Amino acid sequence: MKHESIKGYLFISPWLIGFLIFVLIPFAASIYLACTEYDIVSPPVWVGSENYRRLFFDDPLFWKSLGVTLKYALIAVPLGTFVGVGLALLLNLNVRGIRFYRTAFYLPSIVPMVATCAVFSWVLNPQIGLMNSMLRLIGIEGPAWLSSEPWAFYSLVLMSLWSVGGSMVIYLAGLKNIPISLYEAAVVDGANAWQRTVHITLPMLTPVIFFNVIMGTINAFQYFAQAFIMTQGGPEDSTSFYALYLFKRSWRYLDMGYASAMAWILFVIVMTITVLLFLTHKKWVHYGG
Amino acid sequence: MAERRKYLKIITASFSLILLFAFLMGWFLKTPDGRKYPDREPVYFWHMWTSGWKKVVEGICDDFNRSQDEYEVIPLSIPANVADSKFLLATAGGDPPDCMAQWNQVIPQFAESRLILPLDEFMSPREYQFFLDHAFPIAQKIAYFEGRHYCMPLALDVRACYYRLDHLREEGLLPDSAPAQISNRAEYQEMLKYMPRSMEQLVTWGWQLHRFDEKGRLARLGFIPQWFRMIAPLFGGGFYNWENGELTLNTPENLRALEYITEKNKVIGFDRLLRFRSSLTGKHGADWPFAVGKRSITIDGQWRVSQLEKYAPDLPYMTAPLPPPREGGKEEAGWVHGNFMIVPVGSKNPQGAWAFIKFWTGFDDPEHAAVHYTKAGWLPPLPQIAQSGVFTRYVENHPQFETFINLLDSPNMEPTPPVPFQLLLYDMIKRADESATRGNMTPRQALENLEEGVNNELRRRKKAVQDEK
Repeated sequence: MKHESIKGYLFISPWLIGFLIFVLIPFAASIYLACTEYDIVSPPVWVGSENYRRLFFDDPLFWKSLGVTLKYALIAVPLGTFVGVGLALLLNLNVRGIRFYRTAFYLPSIVPMVATCAVFSWVLNPQIGLMNSMLRLIGIEGPAWLSSEPWAFYSLVLMSLWSVGGSMVIYLAGLKNIPISLYEAAVVDGANAWQRTVHITLPMLTPVIFFNVIMGTINAFQYFAQAFIMTQGGPEDSTSFYALYLFKRSWRYLDMGYASAMAWILFVIVMTITVLLFLTHKKWVHYGG
Repeated sequence: MAERRKYLKIITASFSLILLFAFLMGWFLKTPDGRKYPDREPVYFWHMWTSGWKKVVEGICDDFNRSQDEYEVIPLSIPANVADSKFLLATAGGDPPDCMAQWNQVIPQFAESRLILPLDEFMSPREYQFFLDHAFPIAQKIAYFEGRHYCMPLALDVRACYYRLDHLREEGLLPDSAPAQISNRAEYQEMLKYMPRSMEQLVTWGWQLHRFDEKGRLARLGFIPQWFRMIAPLFGGGFYNWENGELTLNTPENLRALEYITEKNKVIGFDRLLRFRSSLTGKHGADWPFAVGKRSITIDGQWRVSQLEKYAPDLPYMTAPLPPPREGGKEEAGWVHGNFMIVPVGSKNPQGAWAFIKFWTGFDDPEHAAVHYTKAGWLPPLPQIAQSGVFTRYVENHPQFETFINLLDSPNMEPTPPVPFQLLLYDMIKRADESATRGNMTPRQALENLEEGVNNELRRRKKAVQDEK
């Protein structure tokens, strides 16, 4: 058994070494760096809790970016879950050409982010974009999506649905995993389609929903690329997401100590939310038998 | 069936072996480094230029490599959005390039962090003195931080007004006798007489040149004052006092400039402007909104002269400095930036880097350097290049370029203040501009916010220095 363990560790050693060097050590180092003034090149200077004090009391953009990110998590995650589950339910139907539909809805989630952003920049152009052209057909003059408040933020929320295919596939796998006998029993008992969905499908799907909500929340708090490419945090910092501001602090202003403190606050927030979700999950997540 | 499976296994195994062999061959074979002159000392040079500009830069490198037999410059184009982080990591890791062409506002920040060498550490005293005595004042200001100079400007970027002469004529803003097209310096000089003398007149012209569609949307933008950092010096303001080294943010002049910009934007309507600007997707070359007629008067840099020559050679246009307001303004004022060469601490070949910089910036041979400058439509850091025969001929053929040459020499042109948090300050000034222009704050509030934010940063830095002591 011991021999087996050694073999196991040897097999995973490339990953372990990588994890130790590129994750664990920087993770530990950032605890120290968060209490220093550090610009990568010069040695860090110990400032104690000063970075945290500045963040909480002197930096309005910190609060603004935290607010933007929280708002995004509160809107985009439930919306993504709702749309993802809805799509999975639809794509679970046994209709002709269902494989094509599944592929079509999944494809956007594998399109590179930069390409997606480029396409959406065009789609959301207020004057010549597809979105406003369609709205004009029904007599509505659409807003300047990416350059006005609060539309820039909601444009990014809207855009997040583009890649909902990724979670949709997981929901679909969850749906396939629900024992058919439950539906058979329900049909025998006279349950209609709505009752079967509400009382069998959704409860049996909650472990998958729980997983996707946790992953979605973590991703929402790390939201960066789309805002970096499309809005650069503007207009008026309305899309200044936490990770984007952290990036600017570290690589644009060379304020690595401050950025490390920001990263630790983010870590604590994400951990707290995850723990809270885990604490509540017994009340709403059903693991079948 | 079993036979077929066996056959498949053999094919898969053979294919895997071929792949493994190819991988191992790639592993063991020496990667060709593509050096043309392997016996020379290498000079690793990073830059951020791409497409057409990359070719120009590589042409300069090739020309340098041909010009001597000691060094070989090896250029590498780095994507602009990761260039700074790559440079920082390479320098911190002890393996930086020998020099890098930058255009982000990083000099004071990099200098304070001891990331880059001051010029006097790799130039001879005579050469450094030559730089101090001859380089344009603005070239020296861009390189300056706390009493020393940290970069060599390769090319300076100066902004002025571009006027569409056909639009002006159509609106009756030019007399019939005015030249229809600028093809020589005499015509340029004559046309200068008709250009607006004041900001107020320019804005009035702009209003006359606006075009709206049937729904009231902007179809063509005449002119609207924008860019607080550009307009503030014209109103007698600016952001730095070079005599006492202090920031000047919330001043009456700056307030007046920001109020003026805000007021004029409000008249046309911010939402209307926003929608119009969003539709102007072309930024480079042939699709530049000015070239396609979407703008009649616009503020832009000298590089457009060579672009217009290439993409719209028949376009009737004129360039002139942005005029100051009628009262309390400064002539030939504005914001300047540029491309500059930095030599990182840890450069393995700073002398090779300097030889290359000297070649590019024409320290020894301004006539030869002028060939590159005129090819790219760049503004040189040394008057010797601007006065060279090659450059003079270029300006004769491109009379609109003269505006920018003249502005280079103006004492009222200013870069972003040389403070160690220059990029943060730049972002804060832009934020104040945006808040006021969008109407989310009054100009006064925006400037007060700016000043307070900067003072917080200054206090923090002062405290950090005291704590360190």
